[in-house]
Amino acid sequence: MFSGWNWVAHGLYLLLNFCSLKVSGGLVQSCGHIIPESPVLALGSNFTALCILNESCLDFGNIYANQIIWKIKNRVVPKEQYREINRTVSSVTFNDTSSLATPLTCNILADGQIEQNIYGIAVTIGLPPEKPRNLSCIVHQKSKLSYPMTCTWNPGRHTFLDTHFRLKNRWPQDEFPDCIRKDVNNSCTINDVQFFVNLELWVEAANALGKAESDHLVLDPIEIVKPLPPHNLSVNSGILPTVLKLSWENRISGAVMQLKFNIRYRTVGDTNWMQVPPEDTASQRTSFSIQGLRPYTEYVFSIRCMKEDGVGYWSDWSEETTGVTTEDKPSKGPPIWRIIDASDSPGFWTVRLMWKALEPFEANGIILQYEVTIRAKSSLSSPPEKHNVNTTNLTLKLPNGTYEVTLVARNRVGASPPSVLLIPASNSKAPVKNVRTLPKDGKLWVGWTAPNSYVLKYVIEWCLVSNSSDCIIEWQNEPGNVQGTYLKGDIKPFKCYLITVYPLYADGQGSGQSVKAYLQQDRPSKGPTIQTKKVGKAEAVLTWNHLTVDEQNGFIRSYTIFYKTVDGNETAVTVDPSKTEYTLSSLTSDTLYTVRMMAYTDEGGRSGPDFTFTTQKFGKGEIEAIVVPVCLAFLLIVLLGVLFCFNKRDLIKKHIWPIVPDPSKSNIAQWSPQVPAKHNFSSKDQMYPEGSFTDVSVVEIEADDKKSFSEQDLKPFDLLKKEKSTSEGHSSGIGGSSCMSSPRQSVSDSDEGETTQNTSSTVQYSTVVLNGYRDQTPVQVFSRSESTQPLLDSEERSEDHTGGGDSTTQRQQYFKQNGGQDETNTDGPCFERTRQIAPTNEGDLVGFAQLQISGHASQPLGLGLEKNTQEAALPDVLQTSIEGQTVRPETVEGNPPSVDEMPKSYLPQTVRQGGYMPQ
Amino acid sequence: MAAADSPSAALRRRDLCSRGIRLAGKMRADVIDLLDTYVERQGLDASASVAAVEGVPVAAVERWDEQTGTQRLLENLAAYRAFRVLLAQMLEEHREQLGEADTTLGRALAAVLLQVSAFAYHLEELLRLESRGPPSEEGAAPPPVPQLGLFERKLRGLGVLRELAQWAVRSVRDLRQLAKASPGSSSAPGWAESP
Repeated sequence: MFSGWNWVAHGLYLLLNFCSLKVSGGLVQSCGHIIPESPVLALGSNFTALCILNESCLDFGNIYANQIIWKIKNRVVPKEQYREINRTVSSVTFNDTSSLATPLTCNILADGQIEQNIYGIAVTIGLPPEKPRNLSCIVHQKSKLSYPMTCTWNPGRHTFLDTHFRLKNRWPQDEFPDCIRKDVNNSCTINDVQFFVNLELWVEAANALGKAESDHLVLDPIEIVKPLPPHNLSVNSGILPTVLKLSWENRISGAVMQLKFNIRYRTVGDTNWMQVPPEDTASQRTSFSIQGLRPYTEYVFSIRCMKEDGVGYWSDWSEETTGVTTEDKPSKGPPIWRIIDASDSPGFWTVRLMWKALEPFEANGIILQYEVTIRAKSSLSSPPEKHNVNTTNLTLKLPNGTYEVTLVARNRVGASPPSVLLIPASNSKAPVKNVRTLPKDGKLWVGWTAPNSYVLKYVIEWCLVSNSSDCIIEWQNEPGNVQGTYLKGDIKPFKCYLITVYPLYADGQGSGQSVKAYLQQDRPSKGPTIQTKKVGKAEAVLTWNHLTVDEQNGFIRSYTIFYKTVDGNETAVTVDPSKTEYTLSSLTSDTLYTVRMMAYTDEGGRSGPDFTFTTQKFGKGEIEAIVVPVCLAFLLIVLLGVLFCFNKRDLIKKHIWPIVPDPSKSNIAQWSPQVPAKHNFSSKDQMYPEGSFTDVSVVEIEADDKKSFSEQDLKPFDLLKKEKSTSEGHSSGIGGSSCMSSPRQSVSDSDEGETTQNTSSTVQYSTVVLNGYRDQTPVQVFSRSESTQPLLDSEERSEDHTGGGDSTTQRQQYFKQNGGQDETNTDGPCFERTRQIAPTNEGDLVGFAQLQISGHASQPLGLGLEKNTQEAALPDVLQTSIEGQTVRPETVEGNPPSVDEMPKSYLPQTVRQGGYMPQ
Repeated sequence: MAAADSPSAALRRRDLCSRGIRLAGKMRADVIDLLDTYVERQGLDASASVAAVEGVPVAAVERWDEQTGTQRLLENLAAYRAFRVLLAQMLEEHREQLGEADTTLGRALAAVLLQVSAFAYHLEELLRLESRGPPSEEGAAPPPVPQLGLFERKLRGLGVLRELAQWAVRSVRDLRQLAKASPGSSSAPGWAESP
């Protein structure tokens, strides 16, 4: 129990003791401290620290050195590194300070349990400064009196500590203030150094761990001066055109140092400097004359200086100044060339002389004019022709011949040496060979093989080949000892150039050798437009035009034709670039093809537009081979059919096209009893049985006045009728019906016809039906089975008139049945035609008849009579009318049908005025 | 004289003479420039005549060509030591008068002062080579600083600078003479231009 109270009292005492210690004196006090306090340690060195406890703590807290614990930050230092020196002092040792860190604390374990911090220190670890190395100094002249000296050195490794560098300097008898810079550690500048006294310089580096000095440098600052360059440069033209005098001012006194100089110069626009030989400017001076310059050339000068003996540094180059040399005579004649045009007039040349302006280094001044002299070589006696021009070309018209052209350029100082050009009658000399080109470094190089003869010089002509512009010739001269050159001009890429090389000899020139070239090629700007020239069943002929030069952008190496069907693969065909036509073969017939064409240069190709075509279904001649036989076969069939029909016409007619009289359209014309008796119908009535009529036509004609047809007039007609009666009969009577008409009805006898005409004024020329009715004496009548209603009236009228015998009414009427032409003339053209014929005089009629007899094909007459009448109709009408007057008896005789054959059912009808009366 | 006879001593002497001549030449050029600046900044007339200033050594001397080398060196050294004191006084007065405002004149004065000191060092070295050794400065007490007014001080400064310029010329000639007379040296160093 006692011991428990004892422990409690001891603890309270200890606590109070701590508190009283900490606040005594108003400052914090601890029970101990560490030696050394805030040490700066060299990295890698060993280090020992001591923790010393206060005696007061020993008395009140039973704290001893053996209870001390060392810590680095929060890490306990191993106890192996501890050492208890006595009961109040504990030490800790570190063999390598690299393991140290801040803070290093001294702690105790109160009563073996509670860890209390006694003291702590900050440890700084670093390195001592290294010896500064490579100390060097330079004096930069800033002005005439200002010579600051800047020294630099290598400060060495990083020390991790605050290290100060001092540039120390002194004369032997005087010490100067140190040069210190806080922002940098490797340089310092001393203002206003004094020359001609040796100055001792060194660098001192110092930090908490030590000091280091560089090697001492002893020098006279005059030996390390970098002077300011000379200034106020000026250039004066000298007496000679090749000399310029350069003057300047030095900015460092001669009392300080003597100088030597470097002078450099270049022409304006050039970037390369030339330099005056240094030995020429190795002494103090303020001017120098530069020689060997080009006349009338602007030069740029610059100068620098240094100590005459070469000790020290060169100044910077001065500012630049320019000067121009004076003019001199042109150093050479202008290069000259010509273009000869012999196309204007025979016997004369149009010679265009061209020359190039001299380069500035050749002109040596301003060219005021050119003097051109043309001397004919053939006639040396004639005076030379002289021209003074300001331009660089001259066009002359000269007779064909050989001329020597001399050109001189003149400036203010004098004239150039002459340039001579021979204009030969022909280019008869040896040409160059193997002209070739090569793009190189963005320029076009032209090479050639020289001819065997000595060549004075070469002329290279070139021009841009284009569709949009003419070939504007450019040219250049090259000396005779070269075999290649770059074209001096604005050579554009993707453009075609025609380059020609001429060798010039002392006594003439060789012919030009040409080559086309591109500086750079590209794909064509477009492809060829292809189209078909001819398309067949299995082949197609394709044509295209060459690309223009402007579109080519390079040499066309090949064409490729691509063609395909709608759903097929594309097929490519390569075509020679010289072709403009190609035949695609093995195509499928009746197929749509798409075709396009690509043109290729060395850089690639470009395709033209697509073109489509369809191959034919049939080949050449196939259609003809099919159509012609088919047509022939058809014609043959038709012909056979016609022949068959012709042979079987009766049968066909009977079965297919029987004659069925239409009673409603028929009438019976009864001719008046005054019909002349001499018409012996009695005998002939038997010849026309009723049943034999398949076609009946009744034509009633009131014949013209007999006077109008006299016998004399009709004689020739009748004679001819005899000859042609048979043939004409086919088309008579039935109104021109061809196939179905009975020719028998048209057969006539001219003799009887003549008689008839003489005895009767009424002409009847159709079928005559004679029959007695029921044993009655047949009345001789003329009838026919064709009627139209209007005809009834006329018949009636004609009956009335005929009853009068010599009727003055001259009418002709005829009726036709089954007449095809009637259908087209239903409005009564027959009447009109009849009326047209009626007033025709006899001569006309005779003429008409004659022509008609001589041949049916005779058209002129028909056209003369009635121009607007069908050719077939008119002869019918006319023939009918004539036959009507003359043929009727003949018809009776020629076709003697028997009476028995007369059809029973067909009764002749008497037409009476005002009605249709059966008999 | 033994030291002077050795080749290294001869080279050293020649080098000292050569650089001394150049230093004197530069010092003269700088003093001429300084005179212009001084007259301008102090508001003086460049043509103003200044009476002989007490304590300022006079460059002119009779029978100059009869002087020995050592004598020339000693006179030069005495003069430049005096100028060093005088210039230091002028610089101090200038700083007191203008503070740091007129740095150009102050820097020029300081530069000339340094050159005077440097030249004095050259002379001392040459005297050592003569086995003579420079006299102690304590022996040559600086002239007492008179109590002068501002204008008199300006004029006195002008007189000091003018006399210094004269001394610079004389020193060049003395050193040339010395170089000529030095053993192993047949002629003066390559100093083509007369200051």
